[in-house]
Amino acid sequence: MKLEIRIHPRFHLKPLVVILLALMGLAFIIAMVRYAGGIGAISNLSNAYPWGFWVSFDLYTGIAISSGAFIITAVVYIFELEQFRPLVRPTLLTGLLGYIMEVIALLVDLGHPERIWHYFIYQNFTSFLLVIGLYVMAYAAIMLVEFAPAIFERLKWDKLSAFIRRFMKPLVILGAVISTLHQGALGALLLIQPAKLYPLWWTPLLPVLFFISAVAIGLAMILFESSLSSRYFKRGLEVHLLGKLARAIRFVLGLYLVVKFGQLAYAGDLGYLFTSGLMSVLFWAEILIGVVTPLVLFSIKRIRKNPNGLLIGSIILLLGMIMNRFDVSWFAIQHPDPLTYMPMFMSAVHYFPSLPEVLVSVGIFSAGLLAFGLAVKYLPVFETNEDQHDIVS
Amino acid sequence: MTDIQHKTFLFDATRCIDCRACMVACSVENKIPMNKTRIWVAGVGLKGEFPALERASMVYHCMHCNEPDCLSACPVGAYSKRLDGPVIYDPKKCIGCRYCMNACPFGMPHFDYDKGLIDGAFIDKCSMCTQRIDVGLEPACMATCPTGALMFGERDELLKYAHDRLTAQPARYLNHVYGESENGGTSYLILSHVPFKELGLPELPSSPVKDISEAVMRLTLPSTLGVGAVLTGLAVGVHMVNQKKESGAKKADHSESSAQKTK
Repeated sequence: MKLEIRIHPRFHLKPLVVILLALMGLAFIIAMVRYAGGIGAISNLSNAYPWGFWVSFDLYTGIAISSGAFIITAVVYIFELEQFRPLVRPTLLTGLLGYIMEVIALLVDLGHPERIWHYFIYQNFTSFLLVIGLYVMAYAAIMLVEFAPAIFERLKWDKLSAFIRRFMKPLVILGAVISTLHQGALGALLLIQPAKLYPLWWTPLLPVLFFISAVAIGLAMILFESSLSSRYFKRGLEVHLLGKLARAIRFVLGLYLVVKFGQLAYAGDLGYLFTSGLMSVLFWAEILIGVVTPLVLFSIKRIRKNPNGLLIGSIILLLGMIMNRFDVSWFAIQHPDPLTYMPMFMSAVHYFPSLPEVLVSVGIFSAGLLAFGLAVKYLPVFETNEDQHDIVS
Repeated sequence: MTDIQHKTFLFDATRCIDCRACMVACSVENKIPMNKTRIWVAGVGLKGEFPALERASMVYHCMHCNEPDCLSACPVGAYSKRLDGPVIYDPKKCIGCRYCMNACPFGMPHFDYDKGLIDGAFIDKCSMCTQRIDVGLEPACMATCPTGALMFGERDELLKYAHDRLTAQPARYLNHVYGESENGGTSYLILSHVPFKELGLPELPSSPVKDISEAVMRLTLPSTLGVGAVLTGLAVGVHMVNQKKESGAKKADHSESSAQKTK
């Protein structure tokens, strides 16, 4: 394996680094205000909306777009499609950073971040939030081990690197199992609110739908990341490989559509599709952007063979699916109208995140981007594959 | 659900005059700061045209469900249901995740959004005045109610009493005891003359909202084993097929297979 890394950034990174650092600092200051004055000091979260932007963005979106990691490791190590190996490390790194970012966000969102160790001593196994916490820690640890060879190679600890690589296959299987459960559990986390989540979204099949869409998101993330990184780092794009992934996405999205509408028909909820006002609009936007459009785009051979087509298709899919995560965890959560005599603290039935609230997430995301940039710079993440046949541009 | 022996509230909306003495009594008894409350009076306000005006209100606090959803949802087990009725919360275990607030179909638990790390932000909700019922007293809200809109006692007795009222005065009430079966039965029963929705109560089935969540949770172990078995089988199967192919290809074309073997 070649250890030499040759990166030629096309644009100057310096101003970007400064901006990212500034955003991180801002988020840090806001977090300090929150620790001093309470969650209400920086956010619009209320008793009616105990979960808001942080959960939708950091938890639901963050974990969803980290799903590329278990997809790519499964593709390479379980299905032994060796051609995809160059994509393993960058995708794994994104997944790992995504999980770490989620844990950091949790330290702001939790009322008692200093008690996070309670997860290990007071366990209530009827709670999906408990198992989700355990999955996050377990899968982050597994991704770290899976990624560790990149660090050891850099440090020239070849023996340790070889040792881990010998156990890659069982490790990948374990990781894929936990990741499957984790993605499903995020859907199951909403099962406890049948009275609050709008019937277009609430179904006992939520875990299944979440898993299927996580596979689609994971595949799209691989397209997205390799397209972007090939642009920034002037690497060749494996269009031929990515076209194969785009073909696979069609089947996953098709399955998603069948399960989603089959469930709605079975539950007798098809009537809500056109009669729910804003909820109907949100639902159709999510389905058309996240499922139907990419399904059509990736069915066209010319688009699958075009780097821009792949990038645009994956962006559309990701936007629609992220919208789905926002819908289920925020937009489609219904609260009863305020009754006349509700006290002030119950009457905030409308929620929109405050600026500091969003800035916390932006700061954490900036830290993730910066960490990705540093890792790519100093670790053998992108291997130079000059003997590849499929290089375009 | 009448076989459950524990303490219960009975609220009669036709008797409530919206004086809010219960709110004051609760805050004094439980030392709740002025800007918060564990109990509130809800309603839709005045209805109808003068002179046929109508108004209904309800005392709203923790329903003390027989099968609490907050208890099911809490990752660290900060909630417990006492055998004699109250659903109680242990601030020492709470990590402040606020999942219980999502889980509760009545929106009962409240959170200290105004407290930082030093003060400690906790969930607050009605405790059925356990400090009082443990020494044989009634909860403060009930003890102070001037019209007898709130009553307190054993669940089976109060349920029977509520049904007796419904049969004695069918014109006065809607023929339903809210909380008898809602959400698996609650320890707060409600009689009303206006639709329960106008009192701010959600329509709920007789199975608690946690049921499906817990049923899916029980599938975790089987699906772990299932997914693990499928993936292991796939890995082994794919590997075997590939090896077979490779050895076949080796015989046919030696140079190509060595090119395929990367690294």
